[in-house]
Amino acid sequence: MTKYIINRFLQLVLVFFVFLVSSYLLFNAMPGDAFTSLLLNPQLPPDAYEKTIALYGLDRPLSERVIKYVQNFFKGDFGFSYRYYPKSPIELIAERLPRTLMLFALVNIISFYTGFLVGKILAWRRGSKSETWLTLASVLSYTVFYPWFALLMLWFFGYKMGWFPIGKFLYPEKWYDAPFDSDVVFMMMIKFTVVVSIIQFIAYLFTRNIESLSLRRNARLLSLVLIFIGSYFYWNTGDALIKKPYAADISFHMILPTIVVTIVAFAGTALLTRTTMMEVLKEDYIQTARAKGLSQKRIRDRHAARTALLPVVTSFIFTIVTIIDGSVLTEQIFSWPGMGQLLLQAVLNEDIPVAMAAFSFVGIFALVAHFVADISYAYLDPRIRIKSQG
Amino acid sequence: MSKTVLKVENLNMHYETIAGNVSAVRDVSFELKEGESFGLVGESGCGKTSVAMSLLQLQADNAKISSGSIKLNDEELVTKTEKELRKIRWKGISIVFQGAMNAWNPVVKIGEQIREAIREHYPNNSKEENSEKIKKLFDIVGLEHSIMNRFPHELSGGMKQRAVIALALSCDPKVLIADEPTTALDVVIQDQILKEISKVQELLGLSLIYISHDIAVIAEMTSNMAVMYAGSIVEMGKTSEIFSNPRHAYTKLLLESTPSIVGEKKKLRSLDGEPPSLIGDIKGCTFSPRCPEPSDSCKNQSLEMGLIEAAPDHFVDQCCVECV
Repeated sequence: MTKYIINRFLQLVLVFFVFLVSSYLLFNAMPGDAFTSLLLNPQLPPDAYEKTIALYGLDRPLSERVIKYVQNFFKGDFGFSYRYYPKSPIELIAERLPRTLMLFALVNIISFYTGFLVGKILAWRRGSKSETWLTLASVLSYTVFYPWFALLMLWFFGYKMGWFPIGKFLYPEKWYDAPFDSDVVFMMMIKFTVVVSIIQFIAYLFTRNIESLSLRRNARLLSLVLIFIGSYFYWNTGDALIKKPYAADISFHMILPTIVVTIVAFAGTALLTRTTMMEVLKEDYIQTARAKGLSQKRIRDRHAARTALLPVVTSFIFTIVTIIDGSVLTEQIFSWPGMGQLLLQAVLNEDIPVAMAAFSFVGIFALVAHFVADISYAYLDPRIRIKSQG
Repeated sequence: MSKTVLKVENLNMHYETIAGNVSAVRDVSFELKEGESFGLVGESGCGKTSVAMSLLQLQADNAKISSGSIKLNDEELVTKTEKELRKIRWKGISIVFQGAMNAWNPVVKIGEQIREAIREHYPNNSKEENSEKIKKLFDIVGLEHSIMNRFPHELSGGMKQRAVIALALSCDPKVLIADEPTTALDVVIQDQILKEISKVQELLGLSLIYISHDIAVIAEMTSNMAVMYAGSIVEMGKTSEIFSNPRHAYTKLLLESTPSIVGEKKKLRSLDGEPPSLIGDIKGCTFSPRCPEPSDSCKNQSLEMGLIEAAPDHFVDQCCVECV
């Protein structure tokens, strides 16, 4: 297993290196640059353009620049933004990343979980009326033109009904005298979510070895209740109490984008789960499970869904990456000032250092997602685990 | 006289298909005594597996038991609800499936899959008790204890089959159905597995229903047997009696089509034609179209099928008694 992980990791580094160089070359191939506008300004001395180019080192040959870029990247030096000069891309990203991370991590988890759940039920109830309608709805939401659908939802729920805010991630008037930045609150929310998930995972690991099924279920229920009580106390004491209304404001702004993206993103998972699970249900071991006298739910979840999960996880990883790309669209529609918007603006302004840095982060994110998928895949399918040892 | 464990009476089961109802099991009756081994033999599609599935009520969704009764220790199974049946499955009647290679979930450890069955039927057992039990079962079928922590793909075919037997025994069933348990195994392993099943049956005093198309295996494994043709039992009795004195034309042909390694060299006979379609109503003897010497009553299908006792404890379909 360790060998497998190391192997994967080395592959990852190589792929990242190729990604870095090729994205630099691609940006370099873009016609024009950020400083062309200097030439149009008659009040500037004529050599201002050349001087600026030289200042950023853009007059050097391409090969030298690529090597320098890669070197600096691993030193953590991303240069300066052309647009917001003294700021470095890292500063810009540090401000934006938590916003995107929070929203899209949530959307991913919810859409994967609902998708898997719906797909499971679809396969299990094959032939029933509810299956037909749910499948139809899934296909519809899978094929719908996303920007149109998002705008429609925004118009209906935000404008017509007025239930949700139309855009942005906070009400500025509420934050007028806030003693801290919104990023601080975002980071706190992310930390909270991560800690809760880890605690839940640990609780799951500990209860795994309880032999009696009813006892196991009760133990898990108890752990959930404890987590709820714990979170309640956390948000009502000390520092978190002050930040609570602000966190609530952000959460409120997250509801509509979460729902919209989930509706679009869950269908792929649901349809794939349905197909693979229908295959699995034909397998002999499902009959064995029935003959053993197991309950329908246990056969469905433990035997059918567990095996059907494998291809679904693989496709989920690709979905993650498309959701990152989709974040450009989503953030534009919901005026969510995250990485997607930053990337779009940087590309439009030809602010290459920022665009490059943003791209690299998306790339790192995608690669890490693949890495996690590979590991969890090996965990889910013992057959892969063995091959990797040999 | 030992006790009757399983009693099947006039069982009728059909599959609902677009072409019409297929009567897969027609008027099947038999009894199984405690510790007895009972063989069901017949060609593919004759309804052997359908009988087995009906016993566990695990038939496909389009299969319906239209009439008859299945009694396990005087408990009627046909009218039971799904929830009640779950208690009977594995603990009352367990089964070693056809093609047991695929009986294991590929992503769950062997031990866990056995444990799961025990947990379902003995919910109050501790983890150690269950582990002990699995170890004991592995001892019986001749597997190492470490196999518990292995995944199915790490085992050879023979090992998987032994583990399947251990799985089938895990909830102390009263009746064990072995549905062609040696398909896809080579002859040497086949022999080992058959011996294993016989040993286990004797050791635990199980009642065994052995299903096979191979009449030689039935001869080796069972004390009583029934020959099935086109959904019905055409001959039933002591295995030795049927082998030495077959009365039904189909049984005779079946025996003559199997080579024997002892005795004189005989030309093997083959049976022409195919089994009849079982769609719709069936009248008269189903075997008459293929029968080498059908009588007049057989040809005009005036007689209904049904077993009669031709000799003590030896039942034959009445159509064929007439024609012989």
